[in-house]
Amino acid sequence: MLTPLITTARESLRYRGSGHVLWLLHRVTGLGVVIFLGTHIFGMSMATFNPPLHEAMLAVYKTPLFSLGEIVLAACLIFHAVNGTRIAILELRPALWDKQEVATRWSVIITLILLAPTIAIMAFKSISYYATHGLR
Amino acid sequence: MASTTVTPGRTVRKVQPIPQTRNRLELALWMFMRYSGLALVFLALSHFWMQHVLIGTHEIEFAGTQLRWGITGQPVTVEQLIWRAYYAVMLILAVAHGINGVRQVAYDYFGHRPATYKGLMYVVVAIAAIISLGGILALFMGAAAGGEAALR
Ligand code: HEM
Ligand code: HEM
Ligand code: HEM
Repeated sequence: MLTPLITTARESLRYRGSGHVLWLLHRVTGLGVVIFLGTHIFGMSMATFNPPLHEAMLAVYKTPLFSLGEIVLAACLIFHAVNGTRIAILELRPALWDKQEVATRWSVIITLILLAPTIAIMAFKSISYYATHGLR
Repeated sequence: MASTTVTPGRTVRKVQPIPQTRNRLELALWMFMRYSGLALVFLALSHFWMQHVLIGTHEIEFAGTQLRWGITGQPVTVEQLIWRAYYAVMLILAVAHGINGVRQVAYDYFGHRPATYKGLMYVVVAIAAIISLGGILALFMGAAAGGEAALR
């Protein structure tokens, strides 16, 4: 049962280098989004099949814990999207292979550029909501 | 996996060309991961930004979904059909991309135990199929009728 954890820990300690850190992040963020997506599609389809349950899930979206979780989700989604684009472009265009280090650095920079305003706006909206509605 | 040294002291992953594979399905799935990923950049990010940055999670209301999906039993507008198509495409691509991603991860960790690997994937695919079917049905039936108050 512990094999996955041990493999991940051993492989990431054994091989250093920015490539491996990004690989691990790509994996963890991809799995994170999948888990969210499963519960999300279920919750949204309840808008048709079970409106009170749907409303209950929307209410969960408006709690402080979820607001924090959302910021993590934003980070996962945006990193995975940018890094995934890097992987797809590089692998489909072998001519660019000597640019890999630059591409790696840019995928981190672009992630941060997209993420910073997103987090700022989300945090601002959440804080002003809890300031007027109180914490529930 | 081989590695190349680009600058002394720093290694980066040597990206693979289209994998040498005996299996056409694997090749198709490999291509699918790249192209669905590129499509999802637009779909998933636009959706996420719409719900958070434009609407804001705390303003999300049932009425918004009724507006975009339409309401069960009522005539559908062209606009609602476009929203449904957008969500349907995103749902199918994201679920397929996600499942194939999970399969890769499962293979890396459980590939040496075929029974565990297969069992795990059957469970994952079954759960995903049920949830997706529900999601698509919900989309094309439209949201339930009634206002917020009537629902409580
Ligand atoms: C589970 C999947 C993977 C396994 C089992 C694996 C295994 C290995 C092995 C056995 C080596 C040594 C081979 C050699 O030096 O020629 C290696 C090197 C390396 N791999 Fe992977 N690899 C995996 C995925 C990746 C991915 C996706 C990346 C990049 C994003 C990556 C980045 C590297 C790097 C940078 C090295 C060179 C390390 C060094 O020279 O110190 N690996 N990997
Ligand atoms: C937003 C745009 C996205 C892009 C550009 C993208 C791109 C990619 C690419 C190119 C891979 C293959 C990586 C490899 O073979 O080394 C991948 C793997 C993966 N993706 Fe995505 N993806 C996106 C969205 C998503 C979403 C929405 C989910 C969740 C439903 C997801 C879950 C995964 C998972 C679980 C993996 C497997 C990770 C691994 O093998 O380590 N991705 N993605
Ligand atoms: C916390 C962040 C998110 C919120 C608040 C949110 C909100 C919503 C809402 C309100 C709907 C109902 C449709 C509508 O009113 O327009 C919806 C549907 C949907 N969302 Fe999200 N979303 C989020 C993140 C995501 C992510 C990251 C993905 C994909 C990777 C995603 C994929 C979908 C899909 C596929 C549907 C259609 C579901 C169905 O047909 O049953 N959502 N979302």
